[in-house]
Amino acid sequence: MRWRKRPVLAAGALLCAAATAGCSSIPADPEGSLEEAREGELHIGITEHPPWTEIGDSAEAAPAGTEVDLLNGYAERLGAEIIWVPGSESELLGQLAEHELDVVIGGFDSTTPWQKEGAITRPYREDPDGSQRVVLVEQGENALLMDLESYFIELEHSGQEQQ
Amino acid sequence: MTVTFGHTELPDEQQQALRKARRIQWLWMVILAATVAAMAAVMGNSQAMKTAWIEDMLSFLPPLAFLIGARVARKAPNERFPFGYHRAVGVGHLVSGVALAGVGLLLIADGGSGLLMGERPPIGAVNIFGTPVWLGWLMIIVALASCIAPVILGRIKRRLAEQLHDKVLRADADMNRADWLTGVATAAGVAGIGLGFWWADAVAALVVSVSITKDGWENIRDAISDLTDARATTVDNSAPHPIIAQINARVLQEPQVVAVQTRARDEGHVLHAEVFMQLNQATVDIAWLEELRRSCTEMDWRIQDLVLTVTQEQHGEADPTLKEQQE
Repeated sequence: MRWRKRPVLAAGALLCAAATAGCSSIPADPEGSLEEAREGELHIGITEHPPWTEIGDSAEAAPAGTEVDLLNGYAERLGAEIIWVPGSESELLGQLAEHELDVVIGGFDSTTPWQKEGAITRPYREDPDGSQRVVLVEQGENALLMDLESYFIELEHSGQEQQ
Repeated sequence: MTVTFGHTELPDEQQQALRKARRIQWLWMVILAATVAAMAAVMGNSQAMKTAWIEDMLSFLPPLAFLIGARVARKAPNERFPFGYHRAVGVGHLVSGVALAGVGLLLIADGGSGLLMGERPPIGAVNIFGTPVWLGWLMIIVALASCIAPVILGRIKRRLAEQLHDKVLRADADMNRADWLTGVATAAGVAGIGLGFWWADAVAALVVSVSITKDGWENIRDAISDLTDARATTVDNSAPHPIIAQINARVLQEPQVVAVQTRARDEGHVLHAEVFMQLNQATVDIAWLEELRRSCTEMDWRIQDLVLTVTQEQHGEADPTLKEQQE
């Protein structure tokens, strides 16, 4: 017999560990972003890109736009307070990779070149021109990604029921 | 209908093995195509899934090499190819070995760079009838499901490869082992990501890829040694082929033979052997020589192309047996 058992055993052990940990905690965040945001703060990078995001002229003005509304809805569901961090795309994506931000919005579509720096979500809507609208989540924070995408799916579903 | 490899007629057992092997390879390619399609559907953003997918694409090479090799090897020898087309198997063996090593190196590079760059694979939700489900569960199911066929078929192929003395088929059985190991590793890696260990995917891939690369390297080495006329070996290249000693023993039973040396090379399914004899008499009876040749070729279906020759001196490099050693 030439089967080498060791890698198979190691893999089996990992699978068992995953199974016993149960479904509720899977997927988990390596950096714990979702846990920190729940009843806490959600750090969202925002770059000006109307009509999806409008930062406004004065520092006091609250950001507006369709994606801002979308994320406000999500933060409410989560019980989180949003800390808006305005900046350029490259600044914000750098901060996202450094775990200083949880999410970055600014009218990104699914073909955005920032997919190495941030994880694109499933599209929350499809525009008439066929472009898929997405937001960017910190790379590898799969609990947050999963939770945000579940919110998108719920919205999609309730939207269909209303029609 | 009698099946032949060149001029070599296959015994019933080998004819059946060949038919079965061909059916299994066609079946395997259909399963492979289905797996490739399923993988593409749930691939998402996972680099590990993409790599597993490329691995499956490369898995088409060994069964194709076997089907083509076994077909070409059946062609009869002609003026341009006086030794027949048996070497097609050796070429297929080399192609399979390269495919296997290629998969291994691809996985090493992929897992290694992922680990070094600290890449954290994002795996999100899919919408299944309005319910969000973590895509990782689907990936694990597909990866584990893709293991079933190669585990079963790989074992059957290994057995058929022995019967047919077909090293392409044997390399393909190794490839099947690589397939299911990769499937298990992918599932474990995705499960690890689910638990928050972002490195699990890359580490699982690395562990498996080292063993796959080793299999590939061994197959390349064996294929090259057969193509460069190394002494014929058993199908796993672990020992000299027993037929060499059997021929020597058979020839030495003749009272006029003083010493004998046989050299045999692997042509693919069949062996090509040359036998050098030293006699205790000055003349040779052609009818005796012909009878001895016939009796040697009857020992094993793999030995049809056998040359007997009488020489003054012993052949230095061929495997010798002296009369004294026998007694």
